Order: sequence, then C-alpha cells, then structure tokens
Amino acid sequence: MSLEKKFIKIIATMSVSGIKVLMVEDVNTVRTHLKEAMRAAGFEQFESASNGEEAKQKIEMDTYQLILADLIMSPTNGIELLDYIRAHPEYSKVAFVMVTADSTKENVATAVGKGVDDYLIKPLTPDAVNQRIMKALKKRKVI
Amino acid sequence: MSDRKDLIASLANELGDFVKIAEDALKEIEADLIGNKEKFSIFSEKMFTIRGAAQQLELPEIKEIAGLAEEIGIKAQLADKKPQIRKCVGALWDALTTVKYLLINHESETSEEQDILKNRLNKTLEALGGARETFSPDDIMKMLEDRDSDD
Repeated sequence: MSLEKKFIKIIATMSVSGIKVLMVEDVNTVRTHLKEAMRAAGFEQFESASNGEEAKQKIEMDTYQLILADLIMSPTNGIELLDYIRAHPEYSKVAFVMVTADSTKENVATAVGKGVDDYLIKPLTPDAVNQRIMKALKKRKVI
Repeated sequence: MSDRKDLIASLANELGDFVKIAEDALKEIEADLIGNKEKFSIFSEKMFTIRGAAQQLELPEIKEIAGLAEEIGIKAQLADKKPQIRKCVGALWDALTTVKYLLINHESETSEEQDILKNRLNKTLEALGGARETFSPDDIMKMLEDRDSDD
C-alpha cells in the first residue's frame, strides 16, 4: 500500500471511529460477523437490536448516526423501521443501510422508494463498508 | 480457521431455535393442509433467516437449500389442492433435515443426495410458478443512483 493510501485510510478510520452504529439483525452470530467487517474499516462503536421493535426503543433512548438493518424480522421488519426513521424529522441525518439476503424486486423497490441510503446484499465485506457505507454517511453529511 | 469453526458452531447452535420453529410450522400444516397453509409464511421467514446467515458466513450449500425452501414456502401459501400442498410439505421436510445436517457438518462435501434434493426442490418450485424475481447488486446500485440523480 502506498504512503498516500495509508494516509487516506488512517484519516478515514479516524473520521468513523466516533460514529455510533446500530445493527439490527436477528442472528447474534451474524451481528458478530458484520461487526468484524465494520471494524476493519475503523468503526468502533456498536449497539445491537434483534428486530425493528427493539431498534426503535434504542433509537428513542440514544443517538445513532448509522443504522444497518436486515429486512425480514419480527416484530417490525426493516422496511417498517425505515418508515419510522424517515417519518421523524429528528432522524433526518441518520444514514440507513439495508444489509440483507433479500433481493426480491418488490422489496428492493419498496426500500428504495422509502428512502433507504443504500441496499447491500450479504455478505457484507470490508470493501463494501469502505465504498458504499462511507458514501451513505457522506450523503447524510455524517462525515 | 478455528475462529471460523467457532463462529459456525455458534451459528449452528443459535439457528437451532429457528429450525425448531420451522419444524413446528410444518407439523401444523401437516395436521391441516388447507386450514394451516398460511403457516408456510412462518416456515419461509425462518428459512430466510438461515439463508441470510449462510450467505453472510459463506456457506453456499446451506444458502442454496434454505433459499429454495424459502421460495417454496412463499409460493405454497397460494396452492389450493391438498396433494400439491402435501408434496410441498414432503420436500420441505427433506430440505429442513438437510439444512440441520449441514449446519453441523458444514465441511462435508456436496453429496449426490444433496444434488438429488436440490433437483427435487427446483422441480417443486417450478410447479408452483418459480421463484420470485430478484435484482442483481448492480441493478440495485443503478436504481439508487437513478433515484439520487433525480433529487
């Protein structure tokens, strides 16, 4: 890696280390795996919820800059959680990224129409975090 | 390597609860094929969870079989003839049994039995009208770009 690339990576890592991420995913082992990919890109602060309902409770109690959510969970799935976030102006600067195995046309189109910042198909890799999640954070002016 | 083994062992242990819910749903459908066919949605939701976990942890066999079972469950809710529903339940039991086996023995090579099962699941799904249409990751990126350029 060139000196310039190393420098850019260090700056990027510094800029995301303070970002609080809420991971909404119903399988604990998968959450652990997702966190590994996020850590590789410099993220350090994580909270977890196993469904959308639990996520809503956490969002009301704390401030997050980034939400990563799976799509099919109960109670309250990823689309319903996205609806909730976009319906509240106080969360307008929260980046919302779907991380899911569901790529059905109907669900993707619904999420895109409702304002998801990005829609990533599993597996989430460190490269996807560096390129796509960073872009979503820039779009919401988090970084 | 041992980290990955530990991770998959943890996954297998955790997914046991999801498998149990899927099994219970199939039992209830078997007890009343027409009256309980909406329980296929519970089965499919659990298969989606297993497929998603397998996709993230890169376990291709489990991903493929759970994915086919998920789609059959979705389409089977619309079936209205007992023999067709019974056929779906039989195929889904075999899929679930294989997923359970693979969660424990994820390093075992693809067997002829698994290929036969996948073929059977594909045929069952085709008879129900095929899988739902999906977008590729590139299609999704393009949709997002098009949306954002319109803003």
